Amino acid sequence: MKNLIYTALFGSIMMFSSCDDVEVPATMAMDISLEHVLDGQTLELNGKSFTLPSGEDFTPKKFKYYISNVALRNSVSGETYVEPNSYHLISEDGKKSIDLGMIPSANYDQLTFSIGVDEVANGKTDQTGDLDPNSDMAWNWNTGYKFVVLEGEFTNSNSGERQGLIIHIGTNPNFRTVTQSLTGVIAGSPTSLTLTSNLDELFKDPNILQLSELESTTIMFGEMAGKVAENYSEGFITVK
Amino acid sequence: MRFQFPAWLGLVCVCGLVSCGSNEEDPASGPTNISLDSPDYFPTNIAMPADNPLTEEGVQLGRRLFYEKKLSSDGTISCGSCHQQQKAFSDGKQFSFGVNGSIGEMNAMSLSNLHWQTKFFWNGRASSLEEQAVQPIEDPREMNLPIHEAVSRLQADAQYPSLFKNAFGSEEITAELIGKAIAQFERTLISANSKFDAWIRNEVELTPEEQLGLELFFTHPEPKLQLRGGNCSDCHLGFLTAGDPNGFTGFHNNGLDADENLPSGLMSVTENPFDKGKFKAPGLRNIAITAPYMHDGRFETLEEVLDHYNDHIQNSSTLDVLILEASNELPDGSNAVKLHLSEEEKKAIIAFLHTLTDQQFISNPKFSDPFN
Repeated sequence: MKNLIYTALFGSIMMFSSCDDVEVPATMAMDISLEHVLDGQTLELNGKSFTLPSGEDFTPKKFKYYISNVALRNSVSGETYVEPNSYHLISEDGKKSIDLGMIPSANYDQLTFSIGVDEVANGKTDQTGDLDPNSDMAWNWNTGYKFVVLEGEFTNSNSGERQGLIIHIGTNPNFRTVTQSLTGVIAGSPTSLTLTSNLDELFKDPNILQLSELESTTIMFGEMAGKVAENYSEGFITVK
Repeated sequence: MRFQFPAWLGLVCVCGLVSCGSNEEDPASGPTNISLDSPDYFPTNIAMPADNPLTEEGVQLGRRLFYEKKLSSDGTISCGSCHQQQKAFSDGKQFSFGVNGSIGEMNAMSLSNLHWQTKFFWNGRASSLEEQAVQPIEDPREMNLPIHEAVSRLQADAQYPSLFKNAFGSEEITAELIGKAIAQFERTLISANSKFDAWIRNEVELTPEEQLGLELFFTHPEPKLQLRGGNCSDCHLGFLTAGDPNGFTGFHNNGLDADENLPSGLMSVTENPFDKGKFKAPGLRNIAITAPYMHDGRFETLEEVLDHYNDHIQNSSTLDVLILEASNELPDGSNAVKLHLSEEEKKAIIAFLHTLTDQQFISNPKFSDPFN
């Protein structure tokens, strides 16, 4: 008798679950991949020459940056997913994707993320994973992390000489948060988003960088670094 | 800000050390797995190769092979001949002698913290320690022994077949297993007990000169902001003070030669002309006891090395942009690439480099010649 009751109970559970099939699963897979583009072409390191917004040639050697504090939101319902411990070191010759794994299902229509490392994480270097200070993104024990690194060479239009460009932007005032709208994300469906990093945007909007005219082509701190951060706060990383 | 270790972390380290030697598997089921005994401020993202897990027996066999002179054609030299423990596994010579007095053309590299590196040899031609470890056996300028001959010598030995069986489960010796065993031993060559390490662990203070040197070492200069730097850590990264392990990113042209004399270096592996004259940036652990310096051993002292980076950079079409662009003074209109460090600053950097010497490492009996 008891067994029969259990069987009946079990059967009803089974039925319930089969009814659930038409409903939205509680979680959905989400990943983000990144594409790097300069002058409308796919970025390549250590070989190919590209044209900058200033018209100058530029051969990139290294391109790395942090994307952090990734969050998804439905602006109507207010449903929000905030990735915990969200620090991603993206580099042209390394990782170019962010796997959020299974996240709560929702019709997300906004993606928010930051460029750089927030003040709390930027204040310590005893961290692991993508914040491991053994990568070349930690400056030293006092200065925190580089948020955006672009290195390469160009021909100085005044001297005709090969010259290096070192862009290492960090420090808390240059931390930027970006929100982008999303379309086509359907609750419950596995979703792959693609972001494009437009390197041109480091060199323009609003501040045009004319490399041959710069007093120093090591852009690390101070006013010039702030100008590049202003450039990357809009249009640098966009949803494809 | 300094790496702050809570006191209990020390205890964890000790426990980790103890568990290292413990027997995690039934002895009858095969070799005993062990883990690397490394500090937790070393990178944690490099996995042990799945096809060559570290084992007690593998490391012991690898140590024996590392010092095995039978692996040279005339039985006179072993890996340990050019990689001597008391010199942090270098040999103090500009170029090393192989069998029959033949001479190499590259400086023997110091060996330490190799688990965190991914490309080997000065020109990066080996992509794993396993692959690297067997090449000098065959190289005619080094041990000059065809690998099949090495295999048959070991196979005919009274002891090696059973040692390979203990380590890898089979008495049948292969070139691949020789490489795996030597690689396992080399991974255990961890240098992490220098004064610099003690400073990281907050156990000692550096002298003011060493401290200045450390700060200069880890800073790229920016003269506009009066930020002074020695520009070293652009290539010698982080606590390991070693090259970037990501692909060939850790290979650089550091201005030793102008275009007309530029050796091919990494280009001989990648065939990319932008890689001409690039060589592996070595880890600088124990650098004060591994003279001479550079891929061709051209500098006898650290003073010469600092003078090179400060005053004698040769510009060329592939000179690293981080060197080309680094100066402690604003451009003066000349094309010379100079760092503009003061004498005091150069001395401070050298003082810091001396804090990378690890006496325990060079005297650790686990790393010594088992035939002695």
